[in-house]
Amino acid sequence: MILTEHETKEILARYGIPVTKGALAANPRQAVDQARVIGFPLVMKISSREISHKSDIGGVLLNIKSEKEVVEAYTTLLENARRHAPSAKIEGVLVQQMVPSGLEVIIGAKKDPQFDHALMFGLGGIFVEICGDVSFRVAPITQKEALEMIAEIKGYQVLKGIRGKKPYDIDAISDILIKVSEMVEKENILELDINPLIVYGQGAIAADARAMKK
Amino acid sequence: MSLSSIFEPRSVAVIGASVNGKKWGGRIFKNIIDGGYRGEVYPINHREKKIGEKLCYPSILDSPGAELAIIAIPAESVLKAAEECGQKGTKGLVVVTAGFGEVGAAGKELEKELVGIIEKYDMRMIGPNTLGIANAHIKLNATIISQMPRPGPISFITQSGTLGLALADWTVDMGLGLRIVVSTGNKADVDDVDLLEYLGGDPETGVIAMYVEGINRGKKFLETAQKVKKPIVAIKTGRSTRGAKAVFSHTGSLAGSDQIYTAAFKQGGILRMDTIEEVFDAALALSCQPLPKSNRVAIISNGGAASIIASDACEKYGIEIADLSEETIRRLKAALPPYASPVNPVDTAGSSSYETYKETIEALFLDPNVDALIVIYVHTIMSDAVPPAQAAMEVKRKFPKPMITCWMGGAGTERGVAVLKEGCMPNYPLPERAVKALASLIQHRDFLTRVKK
Repeated sequence: MILTEHETKEILARYGIPVTKGALAANPRQAVDQARVIGFPLVMKISSREISHKSDIGGVLLNIKSEKEVVEAYTTLLENARRHAPSAKIEGVLVQQMVPSGLEVIIGAKKDPQFDHALMFGLGGIFVEICGDVSFRVAPITQKEALEMIAEIKGYQVLKGIRGKKPYDIDAISDILIKVSEMVEKENILELDINPLIVYGQGAIAADARAMKK
Repeated sequence: MSLSSIFEPRSVAVIGASVNGKKWGGRIFKNIIDGGYRGEVYPINHREKKIGEKLCYPSILDSPGAELAIIAIPAESVLKAAEECGQKGTKGLVVVTAGFGEVGAAGKELEKELVGIIEKYDMRMIGPNTLGIANAHIKLNATIISQMPRPGPISFITQSGTLGLALADWTVDMGLGLRIVVSTGNKADVDDVDLLEYLGGDPETGVIAMYVEGINRGKKFLETAQKVKKPIVAIKTGRSTRGAKAVFSHTGSLAGSDQIYTAAFKQGGILRMDTIEEVFDAALALSCQPLPKSNRVAIISNGGAASIIASDACEKYGIEIADLSEETIRRLKAALPPYASPVNPVDTAGSSSYETYKETIEALFLDPNVDALIVIYVHTIMSDAVPPAQAAMEVKRKFPKPMITCWMGGAGTERGVAVLKEGCMPNYPLPERAVKALASLIQHRDFLTRVKK
């Protein structure tokens, strides 16, 4: 069963993994209500089990700064969805806190017939998509193993801070890896991507996630 | 749960023994006798009266009974034979017969029934569909390996029957000392976890080598591997299977079964090798050399090119070429010909005399920055392969640091190699293999350091 971003984040949050604040809106009025609760700026995304790659179909709108924009964005998202994925069942629109930019990393998990669950870590964006610069471990992992797998990627120096840039919070990543390790066993997850996990000098937050469970 | 009835039995029955050496039972029976096993051996065959000097029994029930029974009869008769073994008090079974879980639904059913009988009588079973077991220390060769391995510290678990046993035959030719060889077959009862536990506790096993196609009970296997402090070296086949079908997640498409095995093995401290040669090269080094305190190495060779190949290989495997101390450089200057340069890697500029090698090796061993040594000798018709080998062995006796040798060349080299083999020195015919073997020592030491913390 495919979980939506919203459902996936609910599970992550239950295991203590920081996720961006968000709520599902079934109509523009609800979207405005949610916007008032969460605050600006916002990200708004189409929510549908059948649409996996939202940005490809104009299903993600960033930097929404007013209630007027919320209403406009809602309409645009639905139009884009209907145009590119007419048969998809739309649950509504995800109204989400937009966090400051940081370093994007990916944390993932996959069910394995021999070793129950494998965990994956890598830098996000082209580093995972084009270079495949990732490391693996099998769950459960200790803190030592989490730190080892982080240090194993070719792009590790980016995390440590290069050319005068300050280092990123590796301990926060390690902590989340351990929590994911626990979560996938207990929740019977088949596949999981937290992509991106946005990492700062202090702390990290999951901006997007997708999962499949039994 | 002890597998000692299988690997150290006091008596063996061969069900399906035959005068015909072309039949499995016949071959295995012959190998047990020829190997020199000192326990009682009973051939069981309802058609034959005598095989060689031994009286044949129609059933194990008619015999005095045996601790271990090898079963090599057609599949349809195996259940009855296993039942009889149980009734007679046999504790270990090695079922050579094929046609069980590996062939389909009917075979799986038959295998389940067989396991039921094993459990009923509290027996342990290797197989079915195995090519046997061997224990060199008690001269028990219950396999189709053509010669008894020399007793030594390497135990070998193989999932492939034919390949595994061909390898065991090869290791005998290579002069490696083996302890236990087991062809695991279908692993219907005894599996890799059980074998790791047993070999982990076996005092004669120093290194465990494995040929793996798939692991049952993956997590338990890892936990067990982590607890076993002896080095485990494995080749795991099946790399080329591409798992990715639908691209739901990045993780789904990147985390192929092979990447997961590599990660898992790393976590378990299992040294995963890419080739069969690497497995046994590593096993040899791990079985007879101490672990280095660090990854800093010194290389000595009588030929410049070989030492450069070796140091290139060191860089590839993350092995550091040690900076020599002042004292060492002074000693090297005194030991080497004047036109040779006292730097690491040390090139003796052609000199391979006993004195040059002895003094150079000793100087390097004494250096506190050096934790391992690679000694290379390149043979030509102009020199003698034996004196440098004698020098290496002589000096090695005095130091607890690991040494790997590489005696390379054509005819004449083998005389030097013989000296090294006699002294249990791990020797390789090419520098890259010597370096890779040293890398395994370092890897295992890293694992032990990691689990200790």
